[in-house]
Amino acid sequence: MANVSTAHAEYQQENHKPEMAISARNINVVYATPTGKIPAVRNVNIDLPKGSITGIIGESGSGKSTLIMAIMNAVTKPGKIESGSVILNSKNDLLKLSSEQQRKIRGKEIGFVFQAAQNSLNPLRRVGQQILDLGRSHDVKDLRGLIKYAKELLARLGLDADRVLASYQHELSGGMRQRVGIMFALVLKANIIFLDESTTALDMLSQAAVLEIIRELQKEKNLTIALVSHDIGVVADLSERIEIFYAGEIVEEGKTSKVLSDPGHPYTKGLIQAIPRISGDIDAAEPLKGSSPDFKTYQQPGCLFYDRCPIRTDACRESRPELESIGKDHKVSCFRVGADDRN
Amino acid sequence: MKDFLIRLVWRIFSGLIMVLAVASLTFFLVRMMPGDPVSAQYNQLIMQGMTPVQAENQVRVMYGFIPDEPLGEQFVHYIWSMLHFDFGQSISYEGIGVSHIILNAAPWTLILVFTGLVASFLIGVLAGVMAAIKRSSPFGTSLTVSGSLLHGIPQFVMGLLLAYLFTTLWPILPFGAPYDSSIDPGFNWPFISSLISHAVLPVVTYALSSYGGWLLTMKSSVITVLGDDFILASEIRGLKSSTRVGYIAHNAILPLFTLFTLSIGFMFGGSVFIENIFDYPGLGNLLVKAIDARDYPLMSGTFLLITIAVIVANIITDFLYSVVDPRIRR
Repeated sequence: MANVSTAHAEYQQENHKPEMAISARNINVVYATPTGKIPAVRNVNIDLPKGSITGIIGESGSGKSTLIMAIMNAVTKPGKIESGSVILNSKNDLLKLSSEQQRKIRGKEIGFVFQAAQNSLNPLRRVGQQILDLGRSHDVKDLRGLIKYAKELLARLGLDADRVLASYQHELSGGMRQRVGIMFALVLKANIIFLDESTTALDMLSQAAVLEIIRELQKEKNLTIALVSHDIGVVADLSERIEIFYAGEIVEEGKTSKVLSDPGHPYTKGLIQAIPRISGDIDAAEPLKGSSPDFKTYQQPGCLFYDRCPIRTDACRESRPELESIGKDHKVSCFRVGADDRN
Repeated sequence: MKDFLIRLVWRIFSGLIMVLAVASLTFFLVRMMPGDPVSAQYNQLIMQGMTPVQAENQVRVMYGFIPDEPLGEQFVHYIWSMLHFDFGQSISYEGIGVSHIILNAAPWTLILVFTGLVASFLIGVLAGVMAAIKRSSPFGTSLTVSGSLLHGIPQFVMGLLLAYLFTTLWPILPFGAPYDSSIDPGFNWPFISSLISHAVLPVVTYALSSYGGWLLTMKSSVITVLGDDFILASEIRGLKSSTRVGYIAHNAILPLFTLFTLSIGFMFGGSVFIENIFDYPGLGNLLVKAIDARDYPLMSGTFLLITIAVIVANIITDFLYSVVDPRIRR
């Protein structure tokens, strides 16, 4: 009986699964270097449910930016996507479309705000001209309407729209360019938006303001957002689901509140402990021990986090853990889930 | 607009100062040359039987100053006559004004070198873009190699080779002289077509031997731009490839723009080898003859022309650059 009821519950859960805007499976990206191929993203599965914000957290070099570039099929040399599929809106595999079809999806269906959004504009053309270039590339008939919508977005982002449209990149401040970058991602009314460290270069106040606007727009237009960041605070604040990235793999995923309040992976715990609190002893914040993985880390068969793990056992050196469910919508890849990490 | 005028006036003024400085330098160089050509000329005229007064007048006519005068006074005289566009008279072309000779030679150089320069620039820029985009394919590599290789062949070797191929082996093009001497010069079709057919070989020689420089510069410039963030951004925003190529080309050509306009200035120095091989009476040939004949007034006149051309080209570049690159505008 018990079996039947759990099966039934699972069946129901299955039925209530939200529709996926993007469903990426088995993504593998390698970088060819003189010392050999370095895996940047390994066997990653990731789902972006429609109308939700998903945070992707990881330290610099963990492969999180490479992952979203792979989802866009825009990995730059010497990187190469070795395998995987990216199903868009439960229909096409993005990676298998012709390059012209891919081009039409980029910008039009998936908006992208860059890590270096300050430099994402052609320095020799006015912002307005570049919006028109974008519109013409995507066969927008009503260019006047496009400009009008761009102005609306810019005004919402707190900019003087007319001035910005008539400006060159060098006439705008870093914060302004960042917001112009966000406008470019939204102006064609894409439903899926990738934000790759898009607010990292801003000061705390501007960052908060921009994130607030993103949250508003997301609710209003029911956007699907993937938010890549190394700032756990930003992700905690905004996202419903969270993916913890380490050494090219997802080591923990689930509802943000769940993962942050009850982290399963020692890396996630370490990340949370490393956050200094505003009140209380500053020394209570504990930095993660050890250094980021290098190419030697990938060559051994064991857990990639072994070198830095406070709860490792010898068994961790033998084989690599896989993502396993430890609760409702909460997966962790660790053999030692639940083990006390203070021994 | 007011700022623009102030800048223009200031640049023209400083340009004039520069011309004056170079003219003075040329003057003193001529005076300080071993053997002192001015007094040598003076002495030679006296030995030819002229009276000192006649010789003095003759030298004054040639150089614009009198050798017996103190250097300072000579200098003032020289500058004074220069300000009146009087550059003295040639020694080798007896009694003909230097400015007259230069004005006659300049068109030949302009036809030749200007056409060659524009042709090599266009070929070089287009091939450079291709070589940069296809840089990992055999086609891109061979483009680059062809540019460096042809760039390495001296102009006179290239010129003689082409002349041999197309006037002797396959005599399809005329050789020597800028036009057929049996045709009366004038604004009529036989003359113009003769001009063009005679210009083909020298222009092609010039273009072939100099497009490599443009190609290599353009290639590296394009590769630099390809690595810029906004090019990746334009790809991820799904811009059409024609739009993207436009973005790349516009950004990559900026450094070449300066080089090109400066080359137009230096063009007034003529192209010695090509003018010599194809027997064009242009500025390059003129300069060589002037040096051969120790024709100092003609030499300093030619140098002055090159100086002025480079300075003017510089000023024009400065102003045009702010048109093509908005970041320079103020």
